[in-house]
Amino acid sequence: MNIHDLKPARSQTLPPKPRNPIPVWVTATLAVLWLIVWDLEISFETLAYGVEDMGEYFSRYRQPDFSNLSRYLELMGITLATALWGTVFALLVAFFLAPLAARNFAPSPLAYRIAREMLNFMRAMPDLLLALIFVAALGLGPLPGALALGVHTAGFLGKFFAESLERVDKGVCEGVASTGANFPQMVMYAGWPSILREAMGYVLYILDRNVRMASVLGLVGAGGIGLALHDTLRLFDYGQSAALILVILATILIIDYASAWLRGRLG
Amino acid sequence: MSAISIQSVTKRFPNGFEALKGIDAEIKSGSFTVVLGPSGAGKSTLLRLMNGLETPTSGEVRIGGESVDAHKLRHIRSKVAMVFQQFNLVDRLSVVTNVLTGRLAHRSWVGSVFYLFRKEDMEIAQEALARVALTDKAWNRADKLSGGQQQRVGIARALAQQPKVILADEPVASLDPVSSEEIMALLREICDRDGITVVVNLHQVELARRFADRIIGMNSGKIVFDGNPEQMTQSVLRTIYQREGIEDDNSLDMALAYA
Repeated sequence: MNIHDLKPARSQTLPPKPRNPIPVWVTATLAVLWLIVWDLEISFETLAYGVEDMGEYFSRYRQPDFSNLSRYLELMGITLATALWGTVFALLVAFFLAPLAARNFAPSPLAYRIAREMLNFMRAMPDLLLALIFVAALGLGPLPGALALGVHTAGFLGKFFAESLERVDKGVCEGVASTGANFPQMVMYAGWPSILREAMGYVLYILDRNVRMASVLGLVGAGGIGLALHDTLRLFDYGQSAALILVILATILIIDYASAWLRGRLG
Repeated sequence: MSAISIQSVTKRFPNGFEALKGIDAEIKSGSFTVVLGPSGAGKSTLLRLMNGLETPTSGEVRIGGESVDAHKLRHIRSKVAMVFQQFNLVDRLSVVTNVLTGRLAHRSWVGSVFYLFRKEDMEIAQEALARVALTDKAWNRADKLSGGQQQRVGIARALAQQPKVILADEPVASLDPVSSEEIMALLREICDRDGITVVVNLHQVELARRFADRIIGMNSGKIVFDGNPEQMTQSVLRTIYQREGIEDDNSLDMALAYA
């Protein structure tokens, strides 16, 4: 065959157009959504009537009472510490489990399965539930909160890390593997260095999420600012509740900006 | 004595593609062999079998008398280094750390996972970097280097393994002509000075002629030529690069006229 033989074929018509499945999927999704609204008897009229009542309720929070600010800040500090320790715990667990749960690094299919299922299990346990269990076992305070956050987010972090590790360039893995590196050496040389930036991003995201969650965990007795908010709400002390909510909001905003800044620096 | 011995090796991939259809070859210790052939001829597969990146469907590959099998990959790979077309360095690590990677098989994981290396390993790495003339780039990040420099780091990593054999899978396919020349000269020099057996896959016929002791020509999974560069005539090249089912290939003649 010669290059000049590659003449255009006689017929100039295109082959039949492949079917586009998107309209079908959109229609099906809309149908399911409608069925759900119908089945749950969600009424949008109630929502309309309720707006006025909600307005009245929120107006009770108009005058935040900052008289106990120093105490609130201390409580917020405890909440932050809970979140930080939860994240460190998650990081430690994920650091060891993720390489086992990454298909390309796992030393055996069995190790891969076990690590995957452990991560799935941790992720499937809601942290609110875990906190309730740990509070019952360990008593009130920040420790059960940190443990609950740690277990739950270790599942997330481990899955994120494992998926990043699975995306490590095959060539880089072969490059290190062909020096004769064993499993721990593969992970430390081909694995973590290649995903360092992504991994830092995930850790910051989990920290951010844990700060928000730690504030809520107080509601079930796991210490920190959430517990105080729980108490003031039960006492219908709207002024103090508003102050607490504002402290939480400000902290979350600061953390958000700080982690965005850090992520930018890492890039 | 032969450094590499390939005995009736076949390789069929799970998708049914038969990459190697019965290969027998002995490669002499300290020789420089170039494997030529069209894309898809099975050159890469053959090379990758030699350090266990692929396992043969049947047959056996032996390195210095030892069979390449899954249980002693670490041991085999400590003697068989590999250089890749895409360099395959760890981008984020420094040049010298990439070179030190070559020492991993010789050390247990305890110190190496903390990036701690013995003094003698540092000396080996330093020497390897000096061989490829990149001492001044030692602490640069690997991905900040040019293609030619990255390939030299790849060779330094291979040297740091203190191997018996270096396999190079199209080491110059992503490089400009000047860098290609440098890399080939470097591999040739390593072969001559250290007595390391070198096997290189190439697409450039002209480079093969100039650098090889022996040329193996492959086409669709079989060895179709085996000899020294002088024996590789125009008609031999036609057999190597022949495409299946095409008797009279005009574009082949045109392409080979300049080879």
